[in-house]
Order: sequence, then C-alpha cells, then structure tokens
Amino acid sequence: MTGPLTEDEVDLLAADGTPSLRPSPRGRPSRVGGWRRRIRRWGYGTFLLTAAVVIPALYWIGVWTDGAFGISIETVNMLGRYLALAMVALSLDLLWGYTGMLCLCQSFFFSLGGYAMGMYLAHHGGEGGRLDSQGWNIPACLYYLYPYKVGEVPEDALTPWFWKPFYWLPSAVGLGLLIPGLVALVIGFFVFRSRVRGVFFAVLTQAITLAAWLVFCMNDMKLCGTNGLTRFDQIGGFPLYDDTTQFALYLITLALLVGIYLLCRLIVGSRLGRVLMAIRDNETRLRFAGYKPYTFKVFVFSLSAMIAGLAGMLYAPQMKIFTPTNMEVKESIEVVVWVAVGGRGTLTGPVAGALVVNLLKNKLTSQQEFFWFLEGWVPESLYTYLVWKQAYWPFVLGALFIVVVRLLPGGLAGLWRSVVSVSEGSAAVNQYGTRRPEGDRQ
Amino acid sequence: MPVILRRAGRMDSRCERLIGVALGALVFSGFAGLARGDEADLRERIARIASADKEIRQGGIEAVTESRQAYGQLLPFLEAFQLGQIYRYGDRVVWCPALETDSGGNSIAPLSDPLTGDELVHEGVRLRVAKKELEGISPRRRERRVIQILVRAMQLFAVEPEKRLAAAVKMGGLRKLDALPDLVLALEQEQDPKIRHAMRESLSLIQLAAPADKIAEEVRREAARTLGTLCSARGGALLKELLAPRDDASQPLPAGAALAVYEEALAQIESYQLKVRLLAYVFSGLSLGSVLVLMALGLSVIFGQMGVINMAHGELMMIGAYATYEMQQLMGHSLPDHPVNAYYLCALPAAFCAAAVVGWLMEWLVVRHLYGRPLDTLLATWGIGLVLIQAVRVRYGDNVGVNSPTWLVGNTEPIQDLSLPFNRLFILGLTAICVLVVYGLMNFTRQGLLVRATVQNRETAASLGVNTRRADGFTFALGAGLAGVAGCALTLIGGGTPDMGQNYIVDSFLVVVTGGVGELAGAVWAGFGLGIANKVLEPTFQAIWGKVLILVAVIIFIQWKPAGLFPPRGRLADV
Repeated sequence: MTGPLTEDEVDLLAADGTPSLRPSPRGRPSRVGGWRRRIRRWGYGTFLLTAAVVIPALYWIGVWTDGAFGISIETVNMLGRYLALAMVALSLDLLWGYTGMLCLCQSFFFSLGGYAMGMYLAHHGGEGGRLDSQGWNIPACLYYLYPYKVGEVPEDALTPWFWKPFYWLPSAVGLGLLIPGLVALVIGFFVFRSRVRGVFFAVLTQAITLAAWLVFCMNDMKLCGTNGLTRFDQIGGFPLYDDTTQFALYLITLALLVGIYLLCRLIVGSRLGRVLMAIRDNETRLRFAGYKPYTFKVFVFSLSAMIAGLAGMLYAPQMKIFTPTNMEVKESIEVVVWVAVGGRGTLTGPVAGALVVNLLKNKLTSQQEFFWFLEGWVPESLYTYLVWKQAYWPFVLGALFIVVVRLLPGGLAGLWRSVVSVSEGSAAVNQYGTRRPEGDRQ
Repeated sequence: MPVILRRAGRMDSRCERLIGVALGALVFSGFAGLARGDEADLRERIARIASADKEIRQGGIEAVTESRQAYGQLLPFLEAFQLGQIYRYGDRVVWCPALETDSGGNSIAPLSDPLTGDELVHEGVRLRVAKKELEGISPRRRERRVIQILVRAMQLFAVEPEKRLAAAVKMGGLRKLDALPDLVLALEQEQDPKIRHAMRESLSLIQLAAPADKIAEEVRREAARTLGTLCSARGGALLKELLAPRDDASQPLPAGAALAVYEEALAQIESYQLKVRLLAYVFSGLSLGSVLVLMALGLSVIFGQMGVINMAHGELMMIGAYATYEMQQLMGHSLPDHPVNAYYLCALPAAFCAAAVVGWLMEWLVVRHLYGRPLDTLLATWGIGLVLIQAVRVRYGDNVGVNSPTWLVGNTEPIQDLSLPFNRLFILGLTAICVLVVYGLMNFTRQGLLVRATVQNRETAASLGVNTRRADGFTFALGAGLAGVAGCALTLIGGGTPDMGQNYIVDSFLVVVTGGVGELAGAVWAGFGLGIANKVLEPTFQAIWGKVLILVAVIIFIQWKPAGLFPPRGRLADV
C-alpha cells in the first residue's frame, strides 16, 4: 500500500503501532479512532497541566508558605531528572517499539551526553582546580585524581586535549549531541551492514556498553575514573545550587521533552515512520520491495542516540554529579523496562512508564513501613519481615520484567486501550508483541 | 625439556670443577665417619647443646657446625631451640611446641620429643606439666647469631626434600658469600635433580653477584654461563642489574670478554623465559576458555533450538557455585582442619542438577509461553536473573568461600618456570569430558536425535510425532546444567558471589556470536580462541583495552562471516 494515509490511519498507526499496514480489520476505524483521540487528548492535557502548571504552582506555594504546603525544590528537581529519563525512554521506543531493534546501548549514549555536559560543568566547578603550565584550568575533580606518570609532579598535570572543547557551553552542547550521534553512526554502520538483528543486536550492544563502561572507569583515561565528574558549581553563569536555576532546568527539561515527543510523533506519522515499522514487521519483505532497511536503521539509531545524549545533558546538571554507574548495562536494561511497562510502540507509554517506574523505584529503594497498622498486633519477629527494605527492589524490577512480558505485552498503554475497547464493546486490541507467525525466527 | 636435561648433566662436572677453583681446599672433618640416624649419638649432641654448662654447650654447637652436613636430623631441634621452645624437665631435654592455659589460668606445657617431634606419653596420656616445672634454655645472646647461621646452613641438609629445596632457593636470594661452602657441600650430597638445579642456580647467583675482589673474574663468567644454560629467571634479573648503567663507581660495568658472556647468557635466559611466558598465557587462556566453553555450549544449544537468548545463564552458573558451597557445608569440608575431599565429587552432580532444575522450571513457567518472541524472552530471562541474584544475596550475603579439595591445591611444573595449577588443569579436563558427553548425547542417543530434529525443523519434527515441547525442556535443562557445572568449576578459582555470572555472560555471548549457533564445534573453537586471545592481549595492552580490542575484532569478524565460524548449512540457513 503506497500513497498518503488518511489522517485517521496515521493516527491509528501512531497511537497503537498496529504491526500491519493494512487498514484496521475491526471495521469502524474512524469511530474507534475518534474515541481514542478524545481520550488521548484528555490524557495529554492532564499531563501537560500537571507538569507545566500544577507542579510549578505547588512549588511556588511551597516557597511562599516556607515549606508548610506544596512541594520542595528537591521534589521538583527529582521530577526534572525523571523527565530527562523519560526522554531516554522515548529514544529507545523509536528503536525498539517502532523499528524492532532492542538496543542495550542507550545508557552509553545517555552517558556520552552526560559526560559532555559534566565536563563543561566541571570546567566551571568549585574550588580545588588549578591552572596548568599552558594556562588551562584543570578542573578540581580531575586534578585530585590526575593519573601522573612515573616521575611526574603536580606541576606537570595538563588539561587533556579532549577536555578543552567542553569549556564553552555552546560547543559542549553541540558535541554532546554530535558525539553520541557519530558513535551510533559508526556502530550502526558496521552492525547493520552485516545484518545483525534481533537478539544478536541486543547482545552486541550490551557488549559495547560493557566495554565502554570499563573504559570510562579507568582512571588513566583522565575522565576521573569511577569517581566521575563532581564539584559542579555553575551553569552558563548561573549558580547551579540555586533553587531558581534548578526550577528553570526543570522547565527546560519539560519543554525539550515535549519537543522531542512532537519530533517522534512527526517521525512515526510520516512515511519514514511507516518504513521503520515495516522493518520491525518484516525486514526481508521490505528489502524485496526495493527499500534499503540498512540506511533507515542507521538513521534512526543515530537519531535515538542523539536524543539519549540530550537527555544525559539535561540529567547531569540536575543530578549535580555524573559517574560511570550511569553507563552500566543494568541502566540500559532499566530503560527497557520503562518502555515495556509503559507500552512499546506508543509514544505516550514510554514517558508514562519512565515516570511510573522511577517514582516506584524512588519509593521502594528506601525502608518503608507499609503495614504500620499491624505493628504491635503481630509478633515482632514477623513484623520485621513486613518492613519493606531496599534489598527487595530488584525483586520488584525482576517481577516487572516477567509480568509485563508474560501477561501485559502492551504495557500500561495496552492495558488502558483494552479497558477503553471493552467499554466500547469491541474485542481487545491486538497489540504488537503478540505471536509472530510460526517459524519466523530472527 | 630434554635439551635442558642434557645441558644440566653436562653442567654437573663443570660445576664441580668450578667449585674447586672457587674454594680451594675445604676441610671435610669427620664427614665420612658419621652415619645418619645414629640415634644415641644424636641424643648425645642434643644433650650437650642443651647443657647448662657454657663450655659443653659451645663445644656441642661447634661440633655440629663442623659436620653439619651429617646432622640434618638435628634441624627440627635446632629450629625449636632458636625459637626458645626447648626446655629441661628434670634430667630430660623436652620440646614444647605451644603452651596451653588451664582453667585456673596457669600455663601448661604439653611435651614432645626434641629429636623425633613425637608427643611424649605418660601412662597412656600426653605428658603435660606446669610451665613452672620446666627450665627454659634458649640460646644465650652470644650464641644466637651462631645458631641462626647454623640453622640456615643446616636447612640445606634437612631430611625433608621440600625444606632443602626452599633453603637452596633462599640462599640464592640472600646472596651471602659465606653460604658458598655449605652450598658446595650440599650439592655434592644431593641426589634430587630439582634440588640440585636450585642449588647450582643459587651457587652461580652468589658467585656472580659477589664483588670483584672476592671471587675471580673467570669464576664469575663461568657462573653467568651456568645461569644461561640453566635458563634461570633470577639469573636474568641479576644479569640485567649488572649490565644496567649505574652511578655508583664501586662496581665497574662488565667489559670485554665478560660483557660478551653476560649478554649471551642474558639472551639465552630471555628467549627461554619468553617461550615459557607465552606458554603460560596460552594455558591461562585455555583455562578461561574452558569456562566460556561450558557456558557457551548451553547458550548456543538453547539458542539454536529455540531462538532464545537466556540472559539468566550466568545466574544458573551462580546457582551451580552455590550448590557447591551448600555441599561443602553439608559435608563439613573445611581447610585445613577437616578436609572432606569427597564433597567435591558430590558437588559436581549436585551443581548440575540444581542448575538444571532451575533451568527446567524457567522454561516451563516462562520461556515456553514466549515462544516466537525472542526479544521478550531475553527480557523475561533477564528479570529472572535479577530475582535470582537478589534472592541469593538476601540468603547468603555478598560472598561465600569455597575451599578446594586438597588434591586440587598446588601446582605442577612440567618444564622449568612454567607452573600449572592443578585446579585449572582439572577445569580443562572437566570441560573436555562435558563436551564429549554432550557430543555423544546429541549424536548417539534417541533424545539427542529428537533434539536435533527439533533444531532442524520444528514443524516437520512435530508433525512426525516428536514432542517438541519436551525436547525444549530437555535442552534448556541440559544447557542450564552445563552452566551449573561451570559454576562448580569456578569455585575452584574464586569463591561465589551473587553476581559472578555477570562477569562471564557477555564473553559467553561473544563466543556464541563468533562460533555460530547450535554448533558444538563453534562454541568450542570460539570459546578457546577468545579465551586465549583475552589472555595473550592482556599483558601487552591493559586488560580493559584487551577486552575492547576483542569486541572490535568480533564486530569486524561478523562483517566477514555474519553467521559465525560454523554457519548453519542448507535449508537451515534460510530461517
């Protein structure tokens, strides 16, 4: 099927990512689409209202009442970080949900952006740095961990060449977008050229992330080793630890998230997006139809790396430290769980998934007494088991993987849609992620 | 190896001649007359050394010093004497290795025989007396130095070969000129070729390191030549030290004939050491590779059959390791107090079964419901892995220690300077056995036939009556069991930690990617290949850059052979 799609059909594709390019078999697409569109608009409205109006309002109430009501800047800061992470989830969704490539490199690209911004922030960091013999400022965090060669004294420490371009904010931001993009381009070129697909792609990207993490952990790399980039002080002339700066960063993150969301919507709604979905559903057939899936894959891989890099650049100033732990393989896997919980192949799902899972993680990685009302009623020895401990979080995370994949392949978005469909009296939506045809192995 | 032996044989006579030149005449007093093991005589000597009378004591020490080569049996006594563990109890000389404290807080001394070290028994129970009843006799201040030198020299004549070897090696490290006569004496008496080798090495080291005015130039040159033919690593270090430019003018740099000899010897040593080092890298690569092969075998068979990557494979390995730990606790094995070596033989099947059962449950509960969704399976198995890691961490804490059985402790040295630990050799053998068993199972049994049919074409096999689901379960359990065996083997190298699987899983994936899926040969070749590449690259580049290089190499390799070393053939290649 060629030719432009009607607006409704584009909407359908974008909304539920139905794997087939055929028109909906359910008959009345316009009406279902209409229902959905209304609900979705309502959903967007609620999200934007909450993020852009309610939270700032609560924050200002907090400021005026001196913390008696409303929320603190720490909460806003935390939400800002989660919005940055939601951007990573969006970038993975482009790859996994729409193009069918499960990428475990996302934390690597995220950290490349984070390191770019972190190096800028470290350059303008607090006390403790010093000027080297060539007049460059050695950032404090690097100076303390400088890997001297045998016989070198502190006077011999030099700012490495790769730190220098990150002294200025525009070049740091530019490189923070460019480097992940280029790295993804090179990786994509080699990996997709040999038609590495499916689980092989996942495994290779996992190995790449692991190798990159090991390299960034080396102190000899002059990237501050496992300590990471620390001692930030100001960003673009504004004090980083100031509440107003943090609040502004929250708003910037929100605006960029909305922007990236719209960009992704644009892509998945266009002809390009349809090719991407065709790659996901049957790459061989697409190749026979005269397309070169390889080019498209390299493009989307590179684009998603840049989005992840942007997210890293927003995350670093809000976290106020950037360490190699952000690059670990398990961080990549956590991105996957956000997308899976939210619902892959939808754009709203991953954003919601990232926020929900992270809020849950925030709650469940500290000691919680969920059964406080039982205290005193049950024996003390039993009660200690009822107190939620940090050590239980991986159980939740692991269970999320299993449950979502096994019982809820459409994620929250799929669940929501099936609820809507049931209320309309039609059959549950066939969501991507259900059975592929037998024998169609990757 | 034969070359070395032949050379060593030639060296014997040369060495002895050398010794003559070096030392001139040596007085062998009473050397021939004394027989070892003349107990009455030995006890007499002990009594004299332990005497309260200064004259007798000194006479006794001097007599033993003079004919020390004959009194190897006195060494335990002299060592105890040096440590102040010898006492007089009435008119007897006794040895008290360690004091005890009774309930009243008094020191009680269990007594042993100073010559044989046997426990002294009085009326059927071990003889214990109050510390107060003993009269301590440790060497007097002036005698201490004499005794120390005597003990060191006597270790060369010890009854136990290990002690003699250790003493010979130690002499070369101390490089004391006054040890030369003892070494020469010991070398004449020594029968064990390995100890002779060490003694000659130490002798040459001492001679070569001696200042020019103490030892003649040609002796030192000859010593350098000896070190060269012995291919001694320590000799190489000393020669380098001698040849290195230095500020200190007291020791002039070797020149002329000496320089040529030194350089030749150094080159000889270095070429040998390089060969040995390479062999050692290859061996440790094989040993790393064997663990990878065990892991990759399971991964690749599961992938080949079901198209599923099992992310929890490393955790199945971890379960094998913890099963081994449980077995050790169950049978009460602990080193060195209470070794129960049989535990390890029970642990191997236990590790296999534990991991296989967990693997089978995984397949039954999760994997089989995700058939045809490889990426989802990958995620679900990752989730299972997370849960398993955390469950083990909550139950056992951060790490547990597993003691190897005693027969796997230690190493063998098939050629000089190449030491192969028994545990790594064992793992290599275990891997070979596992590969053979899997090969046999797949090719010569009915179950293997069913599995192969399922791998080749699931639908056709199912339509011909093969229960493909059961074949899947079998394969998954088998792969998991192999990972469990790998975990059991790994406990020999390090203990168990909850996330130990994570260290190996990525490498095992690379093995599967390189080797091609579903092929035993692919897993074996790629596993050993990557293992060796890892270990050979590690010393030149750093470990991390070595890993990065290997990853790059793998990515370039799959440009050239996208389906791995052993791609599926025929119609299989289409799917």
